[in-house]
Order: sequence, then structure tokens, then C-alpha cells
Amino acid sequence: MSFKKVAAEAKLLLIGIPVLIWTLFPIYHMVLFAISPRDTATSGHLWPEHPTLQNFEIVFKRDHFYLDHFWQQLGNSFLIAISVGALTLFVATTAAFAISRLKVRGGRTVMNLALFTYFIPAAFLAVPMYKTMGLYGLLNNQWSLILAMVTIASPYCIWVLKQASDKLPYELDEAARMDGATPLQLFWMVYLPLMVPSLVAVGTYALLLAWNEYLYAFLLLSKDQDVTLSVALGNFLSADDSPWELLMATGLIYALPPAAIYYSFKRYMVSGLTAGAVKS
Amino acid sequence: MNAQTLNLPTTAAAPLTNWQWWGRAMVVPYLLIFVIFVLYPVGYGLWLARHPQSYVELMKDPIFFRSAVNTFVFLVVAINIKMVVALGLSGFFVNTRWWVKWIAAIFILPWAVPSIPTILSVRFMLNPEWGIINSAIFRWTGLDGPNWLNDPTLALSLSMLMHVWKSLPFWTLILVAARLAIPAEQYEAASVDGATTWQKFTFITWPSMRSLYLTSTILSMIWTLGDFNSVYLLTGGGPADMTHVLATLGIRYLRLDQVDLAMASIVVALPFILPLVFFMMKRLSK
Amino acid sequence: MASVSFHNIQKNFGAVKVIHGISFDIQDGEFVVLVGPSGCGKSTLLRMLAGLEDISGGEISIDGRVINELESKDRDIAMVFQSYALYPHMTVRENMAFSLRLRKADAHTTEERVGNAARILNLDKLLDRFPRELSGGQRQRVAMGRAIVRDPKVFLFDEPLSNLDAKLRVAMRAEIKALHQRLKTTTVYVTHDQIEAMTMADRIVVMHDGIVEQIGTPLALFDKPSNLFVAQFIGSPSMNVFKGSVQSNTVNALGAQWAMPTNVTSATQGQQVYFGIRPSDINLASSGIAAKVVVVEPTGAETELLLQIGEQSLTLVMHGRTDVKPDDTVYLQFDANKAHVFDASSEQRL
Repeated sequence: MSFKKVAAEAKLLLIGIPVLIWTLFPIYHMVLFAISPRDTATSGHLWPEHPTLQNFEIVFKRDHFYLDHFWQQLGNSFLIAISVGALTLFVATTAAFAISRLKVRGGRTVMNLALFTYFIPAAFLAVPMYKTMGLYGLLNNQWSLILAMVTIASPYCIWVLKQASDKLPYELDEAARMDGATPLQLFWMVYLPLMVPSLVAVGTYALLLAWNEYLYAFLLLSKDQDVTLSVALGNFLSADDSPWELLMATGLIYALPPAAIYYSFKRYMVSGLTAGAVKS
Repeated sequence: MNAQTLNLPTTAAAPLTNWQWWGRAMVVPYLLIFVIFVLYPVGYGLWLARHPQSYVELMKDPIFFRSAVNTFVFLVVAINIKMVVALGLSGFFVNTRWWVKWIAAIFILPWAVPSIPTILSVRFMLNPEWGIINSAIFRWTGLDGPNWLNDPTLALSLSMLMHVWKSLPFWTLILVAARLAIPAEQYEAASVDGATTWQKFTFITWPSMRSLYLTSTILSMIWTLGDFNSVYLLTGGGPADMTHVLATLGIRYLRLDQVDLAMASIVVALPFILPLVFFMMKRLSK
Repeated sequence: MASVSFHNIQKNFGAVKVIHGISFDIQDGEFVVLVGPSGCGKSTLLRMLAGLEDISGGEISIDGRVINELESKDRDIAMVFQSYALYPHMTVRENMAFSLRLRKADAHTTEERVGNAARILNLDKLLDRFPRELSGGQRQRVAMGRAIVRDPKVFLFDEPLSNLDAKLRVAMRAEIKALHQRLKTTTVYVTHDQIEAMTMADRIVVMHDGIVEQIGTPLALFDKPSNLFVAQFIGSPSMNVFKGSVQSNTVNALGAQWAMPTNVTSATQGQQVYFGIRPSDINLASSGIAAKVVVVEPTGAETELLLQIGEQSLTLVMHGRTDVKPDDTVYLQFDANKAHVFDASSEQRL
């Protein structure tokens, strides 16, 4: 290799390696704790002397006070995430179809309402949402979290789906109408099959949003059996001598599904979401 | 391609066609959600914030003032650092070398992975007694590292760093997409004309990306305003409530059962948020 | 197969009126072409017939039955779109069978009709392919197949050949015409290409700015255009037209006397007129009206000459070759009865 090429590679490595370290360090640290036994976890070493999977065993066996409801909470996270994903898909797809293909009157207004909601930071909606759920009598009911997350996820999903829908030639709808399709038939047999990649991106987005959520879960749910795993993790903080290594092990378990989903659907996610987020 | 719209009757008197009926029916689910879970809570929240007394109390609270300053610093510093780094890294990541692509795949992890465990992981790294950072400092220099999260300035800075860690990948990706949209021929023509790397950036890359960079910065401001986790999970707002930002302040008041103050603090933030929101809506609504 | 009737059709888009009262009838089994420049309203008219646009005024009837309030699917018509509009996620077979599937037709009928259409259009081997795997011409045929399967009363074509290259266009033109001869279904065909209109139509409806300029058989329109617009629109290269004034039985224009057709009776002395003569109706001769040659374009079997008299350009098309060169002076002769005279203000034929 010529000197110029080596220099070019070196320059890139000079950026690449720090980026890699910066990105991985907190995650590496989490793994470090998760595989360290209790006594050596806090020793400050860069690599445990006796790496062990024992912590995971403890977590799975719910062998600690904080982990009493681990499986239940893990299940709650799954259940809520999937419900949010499914419900958001339903709400967003029907709305996008009505706005983009059926050109419903006031569609533009609905789109703007959705955009407006999307841009208001969710943290600012949290307190009013909490009080309102109280009024509705939904506090401590998992539906409050599901519906709240659907509310937060829908706007962006509607927007992404509408952008994607607009790319479908309108003549397809006209041809289907001429062929005799009713609105529902058009939706089911022509529209949905053609929107599958966007639907996957949007459904996954909503699902992950719900899975990763802390604040709303923390506010709206209180009983240990009902909370999600994210809240359970936060509960570890309430004492000073909590078993941090167990926390990190649980955290790692909690972090795996999103990472896995993200990597399997990376194709859809990146194109689907960045295209939606940015108007080029 | 024929782009004519379905011209549906607009007279109110005429009965709805099947298509119009379904159009309206299909926006109902979202509208229901909107009315029940956005409109009403917002209205209720504003109603809770109606007492002028709340605002007086708010202004008298030093914690509020501190939070406002923190938020401002957070926004200005964190976002600009983040966007500038994203801009630079976007140039790195357009590279098609195999190992760059690998790094890109890993680079996305902070965004993909939930923030609770990662923030907590950082929190433990910073533990003054047994955290890995201070242990390393002690091992290499024999000195005791600072009590990171007990110093308000350090704590806030670390929250900002955490926020940047989490959100950098997303913005970098956006900017990478923008870079990829620039036709390669422009750079080739510039090379032939004898442009340096910096000149190529200033004359080709930056003009193309300027608008998106601005939009991204504004959007990032809105999202950073709402970043509850980075502060709450790292510092809890401490030490002594000195690292609160607007996002966490509302919750603090809520826990102290001062709901009216919580709402007031949000309302006070609105004049700053709403212009940003309208700006973004103008940019993106079609 | 059925007759179609347009009665005083009007169309507004908001405050803008785009169709100003169009009436004409189409006979059962006729192949009628709506032709005109972009924006003349031909596609809008077709779409109103299809039920894809509202009818602002007037009535459209199929077989004597007013269809204004009927939905597209109840009008018993089928349409072939400009961009084919094939369902990308369905195979050719599924595309063609879609309308039957919506009506819950049984497998046997579907099989029969799709098979029949596929045979007529030579699509048998392509039935299990997806649209993205087909060429433009093949996609066009699938779109037609989809229409045939419906067995409708009327076929509608909306500029179906615009997306094809020239050679393919010529081939498809013949195919569509052959299809019509075979199925004898009433067809309404929209195009902006007057050559398509001339070669395919039983009758042509020339439209311009939302009104009908003239309706007639291709040759009638060619030989006797009723106004200036039709005269210049039909025929390629287009008719030579220039202004002049009537002087007894000639038109005084471009410094020369141009003989008028003998059957022009309503011309008055000194009347300002447009004189028109088709490029193919002018001949080179040893004497006549002088013109300068600007460009000579031999196309093999014919030669096209661009001539100039003063400031006016003229086109001449002749069979065979010529020795004429640019900058030569040539003399023009023509049969007076092949000329066309239009009043300068009304632009109507005299």
C-alpha cells in the first residue's frame, strides 16, 4: 500500500476507534457488571477475574427481593409493547389511508394535529396525562400506559405512513375502483399489501417506544406486579446497597429484545424512519 | 402520471358517498385518541395552571430559576456539540469500507438500546468509591477522582454527555442520508477544478445540508427539552435539586404534591417550545 | 357494447370552468378518439364518463340510461390507464382476475375469462409473472387484458401509448385496432397524438379549451377542417397557414396571388383571411409562386423542404428525391381546390 493510502486509513482509524470506544463503553460496562460475581463487581477492574453467569441465574430464579416479580414484569413489558405496536398500527394505518388515499375532508387538519402532538415533548404531557388518567379512573391499570403510548406513538406513525402512501400512484386506486372495489376492499387487498415495509417500520417503532418507556410507566403504574421491567429497574435505585450486578444483569436482559429487533429490521427502520423524519 | 384528485361532492346537502363515509370513519380511531388523550389532558392541565398564585410561587422558587438556567445551558451546549459532531461523523460514515460499516452498525446501539440500563450503567461507572472511572484514575495516578455526581456542574455536564451519547447516532444517520443525496459528480467536478477537502465541504456539502442541519437542530431542541431520562436516572435532579431541567422539574413538583406548580412550570416553558413547534410544523407539513 | 351520449356536459374545478357544454353521441361499436392539446379537457371528459370525476352539469348516458349518479363499478365500463396501473403485488393472472374476485365469481368463470383474454393478447406465457418483470408493451397488454376480462359495455383508454417508445407505439396501435375489430366493443380513446387519432379512429372528436372544435371521420377532418385550429392540428407536418386578403377569386398574400377553391362562395372582396395549404398539396414546378429553399430533409421515400417567402416559412412534402439545394429559388404550384380559406376573425372555414 502506498504511503498516501496508509495515511488515509490511519486518519479514518483515528476517528473510528474513539467512536467505537465511546459507543461501546457504557454497554461494555453493563455487561461487565452483569457477568461479575457480587463481591468483585465493585472492585473497579476492567475485566472480571471470574466471569460468571450466576447473576442471570439469580435473576431468572427471582432470588432476590427486588426481583420478586421479574417474570411478571418482563411479561408486562412484552404485553404492553405488543399491544401498543398493534393498536398504533391500527390507528395510524386507518388514519393514513383516509388522509392519503380517500382524501377525506379535513385530512390536512388531522395531519397537522398529529404533527403538533408529535412535536410537543412527551415529558411535558406527562403530568397532565397522569392527572387525566386519574380522572378517567385508569391509574394502575395497564390500559392507561397502553393508551398513553399509543397517543404518543401515533402521530409520527401517521406521518410516516402518509408520506409512504403518497408515493403510491393514485391510478392504482382508480383502477381498483373501476374493477369494482369498495373502500374496504381497496384498503385490504391493494393498500395494505403494498405498504408492508412501512407497516413493519412503524409497528416496530411503536413497539420499541413502548418497551423503552420509563417516565409514563413509572407515573401511571404503581403495583409491583403491574409495572414494566423499566420501572422495576428504576426501583433498584431506591436503596444504596442494592445488588448492582443483578440490576445490570436484568438491564442486559431488558436491553436485548430492542437490540435484536433493531438489528433484524434495520433495513426497514433506517429507510422507513429517516425518510419520514426528514423532508428532502 | 395523472395526479387529479377524487373530486367528491362538496355540497353539504348531498348524502355521503360510500367513499366519503369510509374516509371519515377511518380517521375516527385517531381522532378519538386525540380528543381523549391529548385535547382533554392539555385542557385539564391548563385549567390546573390557572391560578396566578402558582406563577408567583414558581418565580420565588430558586430551584425553578436554576432549572431554567440548566435547561438553557443543556440546550445550547449539548445540542450544538451533538450536531457538530454528527456533521463531522456523517462524513466519516459515508465511507464504504467494510470496517466503517461495521462500526456504523455498532454505532447505532445507543439509540436502539433502552436508556434505563445504559444510564444506570454510567451512573455506576461514576460512583466515587468503586466506580470504574475513579478506580482507574486511582490506579494510574494514585489520586482520588472527583465525586462526579455530587458536583452540580459536573453532574449536569455528565447528563449532557449522556444525552449526546444516546441521541448522536440518530442525527448522524439523518445527516449521512443527506450527504448521500448529494450527487457524486459535484465532488468529481470539484476535484477536477482543484478543490481541497475543506473547500469541497464549504462549497458543496454544507450548502446542500444547511437547511436540513437547521431543521435537525430545531427538532433536536424540542426533543432535548423533553429528555427526562438523561437527568433523572443519572442525577435524580441532584445534588440538592441543582441539576433539574424543565422536563424533570414538573415531576419533582408532582411528587411533592404541588400539582399546580408542576403545571405552571410547564406552561412557563410553552412560549419557548411553541415557536419551535410551529417552525417544525411549517417545515414538515404538506 | 353500447351507445354513449354526452349531453351539454360542463365541468368546473372550483371556480374554473374547464368544460363548457359538450354534446355528442357515440354509436354502438364505434371507436371514437378524443384528441387535442394538453389541457383541452379530453382526459377530464373521459374521467367523467368513467366516474372518476364529478359531472358539474349535463348528463352522460350509456345505452340510453343516464349514469351521472352511478358509481364507476356500476357503469359497466373498463378503463386502461396511461401508466397501466397494474397492481404490483399481484401476478398478471391475479391482476386480470381482480375484478372477478371482487364480485366473488367462481373459479371456473374466472379461469375461462382470464384464459380467453390472455389468449387474445398473447399473454399465456406471462400469467404468473409480476408486473415489474414485464416490459412496457407487455404491461400495456395486461392492462388491456384486465379491461377485456370485465366484458364491459364501453372500453376507455386514457393515453395508453404515451409511455412507450415510437416503434412500440406503432405496433400497439395496430394491436388495439385489431382488438377493436375483433371484439367490436364501443371504445372511447383519449390521446394528444393526432397520428394515433388518424390511424385508429372511426370518428375523431377534436377538443380545444373545453369545447369540441369538430367531429368527423379522420379523412373528413383532414380534407375539410371546419376551422383554423382543426386545420393546423390534424396532419403532420401541419398545414401551412398565413394571412392575406381576398382579391376576386384569389388570396393576396406574401406578395403573390394564391388561387382559392372554386366552391368558396361567401368570401367578400378585401376580406381578411387565413390561407391554408397542406405541405403534401404543394408541388415544385417550373413556374408559379417563387420561394427560397432553406433546408432540404430527405427521409428516404419522401423529401421535406423548408421554404421561405419573405418572412413566412412554408413546408413542402414531396415523394422521391430532388436536386434542389438550400438557397435555391423554386416555383410552387398547387391545386386550388385543395386549398383552405378561413375568415381571419372567426377562424371558420369559408
